[in-house]
Amino acid sequence: MLRFENISMVYRTDSVETHALREFSLDVEEGEFVAVTGPSGSGKTTFLNIAGLLERFTAGRYLLDGKDVSALSDAETSRVRNEKIGFIFQGFNLIPDLNIYDNVDVPLRYRGFNAAERKRRIESTLETVGLSSRMKHLPSQLSGGQQQRVAIARALAGNPRFLLADEPTGNLDTQMARNIMELIQSINMSGTTIIMVTHDDALAGMAKRNVHIRDGRVSDDGSSVQLANVATA
Amino acid sequence: MFRYYLKLGWLSIRRNPLLSALMVAAIAVGIGASMTTITVNYTMSNNPIPHKSEQLFAVQLDNWDPNQDDPSSFEPPDQVTYTDAMALMRAKKAFRQVASNRSGLVLEPENPDERPFSVDTRNTWADFFPMFEAPFLYGSGWDEAADENMDQVVVLSQAINEQVFGGENSVGRSVRLNGMDFRVVGVLKEWLPMPKFYDVTNGPFDPTEEVFIPFTVAIEHELPRNGNTNCWKPTDGDGFEAFKASECVWIQFWAELRNEDEKREYMEFLNAYVEQQKELGRFPRPMNNRLDDVMEWMERQEVVEEDAQVMMGLSLLFLLVCLLNTIGLLLAKFMRKSGDISVRRALGARKSDLFRQHMIEAGLIGLGGGVLGVGLTLLGLKGIQSLFGDIVDNLVGMDWVMVLTAIGLAIVSALLAALYPTWQACRIMPASQLKTQ
Amino acid sequence: MEFGPIWRAMMRNKTGAILIALQMAVTLAIMVNAITIIQERAQAMSRPSGVDEPNIFYILSIGFSENFNERLAIEEDLAALRAMPGVANAIQTNSMPLSGGGWSMSLQTEPGAGIEGTGTALYFIDEHGLDTYKLNLVAGENFSASDIEWREPADSGWPQKTIITQALAETLFPDDWRSALGSTVYINDDQPMTVTGIVERIQAAWNGWSGVERTMLVPQHTLFGSTNYVIRAEPGMRDQLMPQVEELLASNNKDRIVRRMRTMDETRERSYRDDAAMIKMLTFTVILLLLITSLGIVGLASFSVSRRTKQIGTRRALGASRSAIARYFLVENFLISAAGVVLGAGLAVGLNMLLVEAFDVDPGSLITLVPLAMLALIVIGQMAVLGPARRASNVAPAVATRTI
Repeated sequence: MLRFENISMVYRTDSVETHALREFSLDVEEGEFVAVTGPSGSGKTTFLNIAGLLERFTAGRYLLDGKDVSALSDAETSRVRNEKIGFIFQGFNLIPDLNIYDNVDVPLRYRGFNAAERKRRIESTLETVGLSSRMKHLPSQLSGGQQQRVAIARALAGNPRFLLADEPTGNLDTQMARNIMELIQSINMSGTTIIMVTHDDALAGMAKRNVHIRDGRVSDDGSSVQLANVATA
Repeated sequence: MFRYYLKLGWLSIRRNPLLSALMVAAIAVGIGASMTTITVNYTMSNNPIPHKSEQLFAVQLDNWDPNQDDPSSFEPPDQVTYTDAMALMRAKKAFRQVASNRSGLVLEPENPDERPFSVDTRNTWADFFPMFEAPFLYGSGWDEAADENMDQVVVLSQAINEQVFGGENSVGRSVRLNGMDFRVVGVLKEWLPMPKFYDVTNGPFDPTEEVFIPFTVAIEHELPRNGNTNCWKPTDGDGFEAFKASECVWIQFWAELRNEDEKREYMEFLNAYVEQQKELGRFPRPMNNRLDDVMEWMERQEVVEEDAQVMMGLSLLFLLVCLLNTIGLLLAKFMRKSGDISVRRALGARKSDLFRQHMIEAGLIGLGGGVLGVGLTLLGLKGIQSLFGDIVDNLVGMDWVMVLTAIGLAIVSALLAALYPTWQACRIMPASQLKTQ
Repeated sequence: MEFGPIWRAMMRNKTGAILIALQMAVTLAIMVNAITIIQERAQAMSRPSGVDEPNIFYILSIGFSENFNERLAIEEDLAALRAMPGVANAIQTNSMPLSGGGWSMSLQTEPGAGIEGTGTALYFIDEHGLDTYKLNLVAGENFSASDIEWREPADSGWPQKTIITQALAETLFPDDWRSALGSTVYINDDQPMTVTGIVERIQAAWNGWSGVERTMLVPQHTLFGSTNYVIRAEPGMRDQLMPQVEELLASNNKDRIVRRMRTMDETRERSYRDDAAMIKMLTFTVILLLLITSLGIVGLASFSVSRRTKQIGTRRALGASRSAIARYFLVENFLISAAGVVLGAGLAVGLNMLLVEAFDVDPGSLITLVPLAMLALIVIGQMAVLGPARRASNVAPAVATRTI
């Protein structure tokens, strides 16, 4: 459902050219849970930004659900993000002014659902992440783990085809990290495709497939066999 | 979505109360300053008789000095001579016409214990009341026969009727003016044309006269005049008769002409009249008769004072400074929110969604500034009143048009100020702010 | 601290700087022109009327009945007024300096119609006039009692003598105003009058008239039905005298009314009320404007400090002193202000030209005013940025190592 064909990404400033991705190719099938790993500066984040239609690329082709998205207008990519993609960030990125309910509401507003539909979806996704009782709280009143659950609820509320997670547990302690990872795994079990970027190999082990990036290219692509190790980490 | 954006705007305003307060204050001060001066200018350039102003014409005849001025800039005088006023009144070529002048008389109350007092007076003709649509509380104006017969009749203002007759219907009763008895035929309701277009020469913002008597009676009894009198040439001999025959101008002349045809015919009549007078040795300058309708007349007579215009110009520049201020503050505010904006973009907000959201936020700030600005305008007008005293009482009211204008101007100003910051905010790349906290 | 790096850093993020500079430019333009108008008005208000203002008051008498014998009334009134204790002197006249309503005629030095004359305000007075007003006679002599005639409303003739002001003499006889004394001037095209005296100054009724000091005094009592009595009180007696005078005139003749008793002080206040109001409004505007501009500078500078907190911490960590950090913001503000006031100087001159063109405003002395205003705005800018700069200098070096 997600296909990168020879994608290159070059950042240019006056004097320097930085190649973040070089002819990067990758296929992700429906229902997969892919962990993308690599050292700092390897191009992980660029990959995620391009996959999430947050950034345009310099060359190559990106097919999402069989459709070439490189030619879409800004408004169209916004719509694709809104309908098909859910984001989970390391820093949660909740909107501090809005309470939990309203944070989950944000993508649904842009989707154009009516009030009843939005309410149903918000309540059911918050139920899923176990935060039904905190709907009126502001993000600042929640722990880091709870905030990330809200972010996950927000990502799920629109029933996206896949989730993009960027170091989802990077700001959390070990116990909370494990809870979040279990939540993400269970979301994958119920059919949502997940792509997670991390520099933590142990975390990557919880995914079904690991893709390693080095210098803007895929250097290793294989199924994970280290599931058990993480559980005890 | 509008209500959603309103809510977001309100939340955002609450998030930086100090910055928001500064913006609201900047807009309010700019609006307060400019609306104060705009209100004064608006009242000064008000159309005092809107539905009829295009049918009422100030008549100008150029009987002036051929030796003065540069001949290319000859302006006819703003008033007419007695000779010409009477000729035009007698000719009756307009649908209605009225010659009038300002005067002051002394009114003696019936009760000998009360001291006589002076009253502002207008010497005028029967057509004055229907022509300028003076509203009557009791009775009516006088008729043409009264002008002809020099009947000693009078129309009182409501205030004078209150003072002399305790507000009763005084039609038929008698009033003593300068030692002569006048019969009351009518009492006006509150009537305050602003500006007083029918006599801008003697003060466009003066209150309406307190009593009105027939012009013919004032002439017959040589009652005093106290309006502006202008002469370019010595009178021929002494006495009132000589003055009446002189080239001195002191009478305001108005004609009601209902359409273009009537106006054209009247102009032809005026030209023919001046032509005939030229043969008698008058009107030494080239033919230069004018018919200006109410608004043209007030513009030509520069009724709006220069000080008011200068202040309005400066206060609009002041508003500009306040807006530049607001642009800077909005830019700071929106940039501070760039994290939120990135998140919204990632969650599927289009640029147009964010544009709307931020313009509505700016509109809210403008609304706040406008409401506060109306308050400051009222304060500013009070200030003007205390500086100028009673002479501006009639200029410092704020009607609902001005209130809405103030709020509208505030919102439009805020939206204009928000254009650039919002454009910048919408340009924030969705990915740029997501990684760092 | 060198300007170069600060300037370059500023140009990389120039919108805020441009906004402040523009704001200062428009502020300067408004300020300079407001002050120009204020100076013009203040100058007009400071002109002396020529009369003894603190002690003079006047009252209007209007005869209304058929029985009113105006000539007799004037003679009786003047005799009674001059006899009142506390009254230094009194006259009857047609109008007062600065009162807004009066009589003007055209005077010429050659007889004949069609000659461009000199507009002249005139007051009808008797031989007590000079003393009542306390005018300074600089040449010639006062009227004598036998010079005084009586004038009916529509009389067209003029007496033989007149006393004129020095300003009028200078206009009529530009070569040597002293030569006016004894000369003949012509009123009503060809009626001769001889200048028998010159007074230093008495202003006309209209303060806005360009010839406000061109006045002639005519030795006549007027019989116009309504008339002004001018009374000069002994020093300190004015306020006590006023109600007495009003009561005397109101009660000694039932065929007239008296009204509008005013002091010269009040007349001056009324005459210049518009100008005084304009001065106050403009002053208030300028103060408010400077306040708004300063607040804007504080707001944007604070934002800039908080945005650069980490950068400032890094600089501190690298060894920059507190004062160097504060200086950075002061210099930055100075560069912005300098650009703003230079642009503003241009705007100020442009706006001035526009006002002069459209409204006949006095151009004023921009050459001294503009540099002064530029300097003042730069100082105000520096003062406004002082707070944020101090806050910047208090940023701890440790901020550099914190990630969030």
